[in-house]
Amino acid sequence: MTVTTYQPGEIQGLIEIQASKCKGCDACQKFCPTNAIEGASGAVHSINKEKCLSCGQCLINCPFGAIIETHSALETVIAKLADKDVKVVGIIAPAVRVAIGEEFGLGTGELVTGKLYGAMNKAGFKIFDCNFAADLTIMEEGSEFIHRLHANVKGEADAGALPQFTSCCPGWVRYLETNYPSLLPNLSTAKSPQQMAGTVAKTYGAKVYAMQPENIFTVAVMPCTSKKVEASRPEFNSAWKYNQEQGANVAEYRDVDAVLTTREMAQLLKLLEIDLAKTPEYEGDSLFSEYTGAGTIFGATGGVMEAALRTAHKVLTGDEMAKLEFEPVRGLAGVKAASVTLFDQSLSQDVTVNVAVVHDMGNNVEPILRDIMAGISPYHFIEVMNCAGGCVNGGGQPIDGNGSSWIGNI
Amino acid sequence: MNNKKHVFAEDSFFISRRKFMAIGAAFIAVMAIPVGWFASKVAKRNDYIKARSAGLYKDDAIAKLRVSHANPAVEKYYKEFGGQPLGHMSHDLLHTHFVDRTKLNS
Ligand code: SF4
Ligand code: SF4
Ligand code: SF4
Repeated sequence: MTVTTYQPGEIQGLIEIQASKCKGCDACQKFCPTNAIEGASGAVHSINKEKCLSCGQCLINCPFGAIIETHSALETVIAKLADKDVKVVGIIAPAVRVAIGEEFGLGTGELVTGKLYGAMNKAGFKIFDCNFAADLTIMEEGSEFIHRLHANVKGEADAGALPQFTSCCPGWVRYLETNYPSLLPNLSTAKSPQQMAGTVAKTYGAKVYAMQPENIFTVAVMPCTSKKVEASRPEFNSAWKYNQEQGANVAEYRDVDAVLTTREMAQLLKLLEIDLAKTPEYEGDSLFSEYTGAGTIFGATGGVMEAALRTAHKVLTGDEMAKLEFEPVRGLAGVKAASVTLFDQSLSQDVTVNVAVVHDMGNNVEPILRDIMAGISPYHFIEVMNCAGGCVNGGGQPIDGNGSSWIGNI
Repeated sequence: MNNKKHVFAEDSFFISRRKFMAIGAAFIAVMAIPVGWFASKVAKRNDYIKARSAGLYKDDAIAKLRVSHANPAVEKYYKEFGGQPLGHMSHDLLHTHFVDRTKLNS
């Protein structure tokens, strides 16, 4: 038996360096959060898959376009869209709507939610906005945090571990699982929005769509390559387990059947000759396209924290936050810390919550983890995102044709 | 709203792309990234991050509802199906467990 960092069935070696194209320039190593890239300067480099988080940061930053993804569900998704017996549900992540326009000649950061809904509807998808699931995540993860906070203030014996970490980013989750398993009790047990969306689509969604769950095919559209690995985790078949308990007797299916990156979604639309830039806006076709501002900011660093604070404030004090924009967690500082004092109604006392937001994880998270292990961390709640800037800069986003991979774009 | 394609500063290896191609593969093979490349790459990456984040913050600012607990669809989900946050159904469907990956074998 050999030691591995993968569970059976998980996608391994998703991100790969093509030896024939690698110039050994070392650029990828500068962007890798885990030093997973091996090879001397000038020689062909390779990725140690046990250390790799599949985050794709090396891929989007290789100046020679030498790095690729080894798994694509594009053809499967196109075949499912053509299958009349299957309902294909497209789960659209927050950060996709401000980037996919770039692939169709629109401006960087241009918000194209309506056009993306329209283009995907034309392609045959039902619209399930992952922002709806982000709102659901806040309900679950926020409640979990308040539960742990109260239990700790009261000094209960089995109070959950603080600080509580967010668990939305699979790059970060795998990092902790691989390098700091002793801190796993600090991770929120809430599933990521992607996984909540897949599960809900095949349970409650089956009722909303009036379909058998096994005939629903869920496609997550993500700014992230690591989301492909997340969807392949063996435990993520909760909808199937639930439906079996309800009396179904069918072959096992996944909560999320396929993951397409922003780049692959653009490719799919182009293959189907749908020009997103020219598509009329569309509103969505079920309650699953209803989302709030808190759900959408998940795509930027600090967004999960800001969204959670908005809800925690209401739950703890009974009032909405006077100003919803929470500036201390916005912007590109590597670690953003803030302290919030609230009057907690149920405890009848002031409670001070110290929060921290970390992105560009490889460069910023270690000191924080060391403090926690030494028992001197001041924080109660910490958001960690692997990619610099959060998911807006994820490894599945459009690649700048002028800088990265420009060899292929001449 | 910004409708024009965003043109950020050209990021090249300090020579034009065409000229670069003309120099040929033999040279490329031994070429290291010049000093300053990384800084220029990070600066441009930050331009992308800022522009895309601004789009998301705009989506928030124009949203009819801006707090998760006010999402009527989420409320409907809990009422018609999911029970309540951290409840039994949530435990089964919306929560997960983690794996100590230092202890796995193939
Ligand atoms: S950045 Fe690309 S070309 Fe440079 S060493 Fe890494 S894989 Fe090779
Ligand atoms: S995918 Fe991420 S973790 Fe893996 S080698 Fe590339 S940068 Fe490193
Ligand atoms: S920060 Fe976002 S895009 Fe990057 S690895 Fe995490 S989930 Fe994926």
